[in-house]
Amino acid sequence: MSGITDMKISVRQICFIMLAYTAVSKFILYPTALSFNSGRDLLFSSLIDFLIQGVIIWAVSFLCSRTDKTFFKLIEGTLGKVVARIIYGLFALFFIVATVIPLFEQKVYVQAIFYDTIPSLLIFLPFFAFSVYAACKGFKNIGRCADVCLPLFLVSMLFIFAMSLGEVNWQHFFPVLKTPLNKVFGGSLITAFRFVEPCWLLMFMGHFEYKKHDALKITLSYAGGALFTLLVLATFYGIYGDIAASRQFAISKISLFFPAIELIGRIDLIALYILEAVMLFALVINIQFAVHCIIKCTGYGNRAVLSLAVNGVLLIMLIFLNNSLDALLGIWSQWMWIAFVIFANIIPLLAWTMRKRDKNEG
Amino acid sequence: MKDRIKNLNKYSHIIYLLVMLALLGLFFTNDFGIVDIHKTSLIVAVGIDPAGEEVQVTAQIAVPQPSQSGENVQYTEVQGSGLTVADALNEINAKTGTYPKLLFCKLILLGEGCQKNELFKTLGCFYRRNFSELTALVAMCKGKAQEMLEMPANIAPENSLALQKVLSEELKKSANVSSVDLKKLAETNYSVSEACYMPYIEANVQGTSQSGGNGDDVGGESPDSSGGQQGGGSGGGSGEGGGQQSGQGGQSGGSPQSGGQQGGQTVEFTARKTAVFSGGKFAGILDEQQAFALNVLKNSVNLAIVPADAEGVHYTVGLKSTSGGVKLKVKDGVPEATFSFKAKAQIQGARVVLDPETAMHDDVVSPEVLRATEAELQRRMEDLIKTCAETNCDVLGIKDLLHKYNYKYFEAFKDDILTRMKVNFKIQIGSVS
Repeated sequence: MSGITDMKISVRQICFIMLAYTAVSKFILYPTALSFNSGRDLLFSSLIDFLIQGVIIWAVSFLCSRTDKTFFKLIEGTLGKVVARIIYGLFALFFIVATVIPLFEQKVYVQAIFYDTIPSLLIFLPFFAFSVYAACKGFKNIGRCADVCLPLFLVSMLFIFAMSLGEVNWQHFFPVLKTPLNKVFGGSLITAFRFVEPCWLLMFMGHFEYKKHDALKITLSYAGGALFTLLVLATFYGIYGDIAASRQFAISKISLFFPAIELIGRIDLIALYILEAVMLFALVINIQFAVHCIIKCTGYGNRAVLSLAVNGVLLIMLIFLNNSLDALLGIWSQWMWIAFVIFANIIPLLAWTMRKRDKNEG
Repeated sequence: MKDRIKNLNKYSHIIYLLVMLALLGLFFTNDFGIVDIHKTSLIVAVGIDPAGEEVQVTAQIAVPQPSQSGENVQYTEVQGSGLTVADALNEINAKTGTYPKLLFCKLILLGEGCQKNELFKTLGCFYRRNFSELTALVAMCKGKAQEMLEMPANIAPENSLALQKVLSEELKKSANVSSVDLKKLAETNYSVSEACYMPYIEANVQGTSQSGGNGDDVGGESPDSSGGQQGGGSGGGSGEGGGQQSGQGGQSGGSPQSGGQQGGQTVEFTARKTAVFSGGKFAGILDEQQAFALNVLKNSVNLAIVPADAEGVHYTVGLKSTSGGVKLKVKDGVPEATFSFKAKAQIQGARVVLDPETAMHDDVVSPEVLRATEAELQRRMEDLIKTCAETNCDVLGIKDLLHKYNYKYFEAFKDDILTRMKVNFKIQIGSVS
């Protein structure tokens, strides 16, 4: 019984996740990558991705109004248990892959922003203590964390925007849409691997009680997350202009030119520390889903062991590829977008076809 | 006992979570990476001079000292050299135990010799990865940067602070200095205009001032800048030939600086002139009046002082509530740049005997004085535009305006817009009351 309640989450909490986690997972290197690829038209590249994902999120959340089944049950009812297990196995792998870049980004971000000296890899490793513990927990825990994270996110963002919006030079965005379109769309494509939110919703399917207009609420929350991301992108490019592509860790760079910082020091770091907590929860959610998928795939229910295994894999990657973020980014942006399009866009839409068959059969 | 163990198990995950959060807090807030402040030193300013094929970097370093009261920071200069600035800084780090990042560096001073080099070849390292936060002020100085950093200043205990004072935001808001930081410098250089500017700093012997000029406070007031001070007549706080330590100190320089007790005379700094660069190459130096025109057009100015001769009297006019800028339009195939400036004027000084009754009405400025002020501003702007056209240095950002707001004409006019454009002025000076 406790296992079932442990997997329940509320619509409110899903909305919080869509709002806060969507945004914070795109604050570190995403703005730099888009500035490099799309230049002053980076907002359009981002908007394309968010619109596509928004439509898929609406489709998946609307699907939840038509069935109480989990995604696993849908596949099982349509294609059989073996296929369901295989697909969940693939999803587990996908969530691990989806964690790699955010994990490496987080490591270099912490090392670069919170340390004046040259920190060793060891500094970041306590993250795995947190990650192992969090991945042992079910969706109920994810929801509670989201309840805590949303106010932290809003307060820190308010603080950061207050210190940075005044420094924005909107002229940097002119002339509008004169960047070649292949670069604008290319920017969308090579950053597509940062958009996994429809998969989160797919995993939550059947784990929350759908009420009227919940699809709208979830989609609007996602739009809110998109709005925060677009605002950070606009602020970042509006402050740095043509040199934005050379500045990493956007969220920590946009408040640097606030006049008071010159006098009283890096007060923006207070907001960044708070935001860091939200970023860690957003990072861990993919690991939590990976563990959930492995449980479904294998039927082995010991979360602690599986959490250790998944985190172990990530830890080994982090140790052996410690300084290979650039190479990984190259691979992910050139090739991995295909996997992300399949898992985060195509499969969530295919879930609609599964539901119909399931109903007919039933 | 069993109950206790049971209770412990019950709360184990909470205890685990708390311990973990505490650990994360400690790690991510740098508590384990913290460095004893007394065992380190911080680079607060760097001076860059060319040395043959290499660059010579002089770092002014703050060395915290244990002290119960009073002065607890000492400043010293350490030198390094190498093919790149990063090489030289690495050498400095090796000598001082300084952090490899320049997070505390607030001033980058380029020696006059850097005029021969590509600007962003010299400054490139500051923009790579996260070497610096791009908030440091950048300026060029007369003579060697190393020598200027070693000069004892009269308005601050260490001269990098004195230098920053003459580049201050307040001075920028009075149109007296064209302060820029690393970000602004790169932003303008890598724009379509490919031009940037930075203040040009000169050192003056304390208490001296060059007479002349065409106003109470603007133009011609620059003290002996012909080299007299720098090597010369006044005991030379430093300078090309004498003063304190010359460049021969080479890579191991290092001279404690303590407010001018080093045998050199204390100096004052001014940064009224502006060095301009086009395509990353040095293009010239704007004099005080051209720099003033640039500042009122490019920066947000709160109070600017302008001289005006009217009614046979020389006035010093204060300009408040200013707004200035450049607009570019293409009309009938001809690019037209409109230089606009609006302000409210009040009398700040006049070469007449003060009459307390009329002084009460200083905020009511006569039309003659207002027109004379407008004429003076227009003259300065014309002079600036002429210099820009002659040197093909687009510090006014005309090409950028063409690209941003008249994009379809960009290809046609981009090469000769500065000489081809028709110039209009829209200068409106009104009385404060």
